Amino acid sequence: MLLDPRAIIMFGANALLLFLMQMVNSAMAAWPPYLFILGPMIVLPALYLRHQSYFLCTFLSGLGVDASMGGPFGFFTTLFLMAGALIFTFRIRFRAEHNYHPILLGHVTNIFLILSISIFWGGDLLNISSYWIQILSTIFFSHLAMLVVAPWFYSLERQLFQICRVETEPEDLPLL
Amino acid sequence: MAKRRLDKFKPIVALGVFLVAWWLIPLGAKAFLKASFTEFQAPAWVANSYLEDLEGFWARRMHSKRELEVAGQEIARAKSYYQFNAQRAATLQAEVERLERILNLPSRREYQYEVARVIRRDLSAWWQHLILRKGRDFEIPVGAAVVFAGGVVGRVVEVNAFTSRVELISSPNFRMAAQFEGDPRPVVYEGVAQSGFGDPVGRVSDAPQDLVANSREPLQLVSTQLGGTFPPGLVIGKVAWLEPGNTGIFQAGEVALDPDLLSLHEVAILVPLNPIEMDSNAP
Repeated sequence: MLLDPRAIIMFGANALLLFLMQMVNSAMAAWPPYLFILGPMIVLPALYLRHQSYFLCTFLSGLGVDASMGGPFGFFTTLFLMAGALIFTFRIRFRAEHNYHPILLGHVTNIFLILSISIFWGGDLLNISSYWIQILSTIFFSHLAMLVVAPWFYSLERQLFQICRVETEPEDLPLL
Repeated sequence: MAKRRLDKFKPIVALGVFLVAWWLIPLGAKAFLKASFTEFQAPAWVANSYLEDLEGFWARRMHSKRELEVAGQEIARAKSYYQFNAQRAATLQAEVERLERILNLPSRREYQYEVARVIRRDLSAWWQHLILRKGRDFEIPVGAAVVFAGGVVGRVVEVNAFTSRVELISSPNFRMAAQFEGDPRPVVYEGVAQSGFGDPVGRVSDAPQDLVANSREPLQLVSTQLGGTFPPGLVIGKVAWLEPGNTGIFQAGEVALDPDLLSLHEVAILVPLNPIEMDSNAP
């Protein structure tokens, strides 16, 4: 098959996560927490799918995030594909069928995304303390929320695989 | 065996191909992709906003008749007060126009107020944006000023079919000409990085040396018509202190913005009725 149907399911789940994240941020705009939870979007496509399907899913998810957020178009797509390529290259070392490794990978990817945006878009702001205070608070609250959101998100994706009666195992099983 | 080893580098090679392709793709194609993805997501936000309106409607339906009567009385009082103010404003406007004719002053820019609902707030360290439920369907132009009861909100930076994106005045990328109330000399206002804790702030620079601000009598920063986007006299914020700037010639200071900026539900977009012709040579 040209495209793994799981790629479509994962893209839909990514769109849902993005929508929910932005809805929470919009409702809490007057409060300090800002949630940035994009890391988990990249993990399962890179661990589960064949390269073509992974690439399409990550590329489309990145474009969706780019269209929704401020900043130069294509920035998130590039970061998504960079993080995805790294996870895909070493995916045989991770156990995708349980949540432990995907959660850790989600946290690492999320930190990578936040720091990349902060450094590339920071410009003159990099020397301003209030900028870094908000970045640190964003990292703190986002990763606190991810302790709940990431397991839910991965379980939701696996549940959707079962509901849609598609393959529930990853393409490459890990080395034991 | 060799094929297996090369397969390992497939994602890296694909990433490299993507980076080269993305660099080569014409801007038009990228703009098309962006518009497609934005318009694809917009209905979800617009529907969410209408659902919130419906929720508000049903919440109001739950009020008792007595509460509605009291609210009606308050509205009637407010209405008569605003009717009186409208009459007074019309009289003053006629007086201003009469004086302008006598003094042969050039005509001012006129605006049409387009009230729009805020459907999303996205306030982070990197960007400070609002998404409004009006776009090209209401002929909102890019660069239009956005205001609310407390003063300036920001500027429209992106217009889509049914939504538009506004950059808030607290955003680090925002910059505009301003002046202190009662002082015609122009100063520069710009947004700064927000700490996220406390009320939003901005920064004013190029303020003349003779201006003195203190916390008891803060100076009010208002918009000026110099930038061409905002009508003059709209409140930006208050300045409680000024200190010598980098050059030592001018002063600079922090601007306290209205805290309601972070929880806006409705704003007004100022659509210019006589847009400035960029090609014209007129001064």
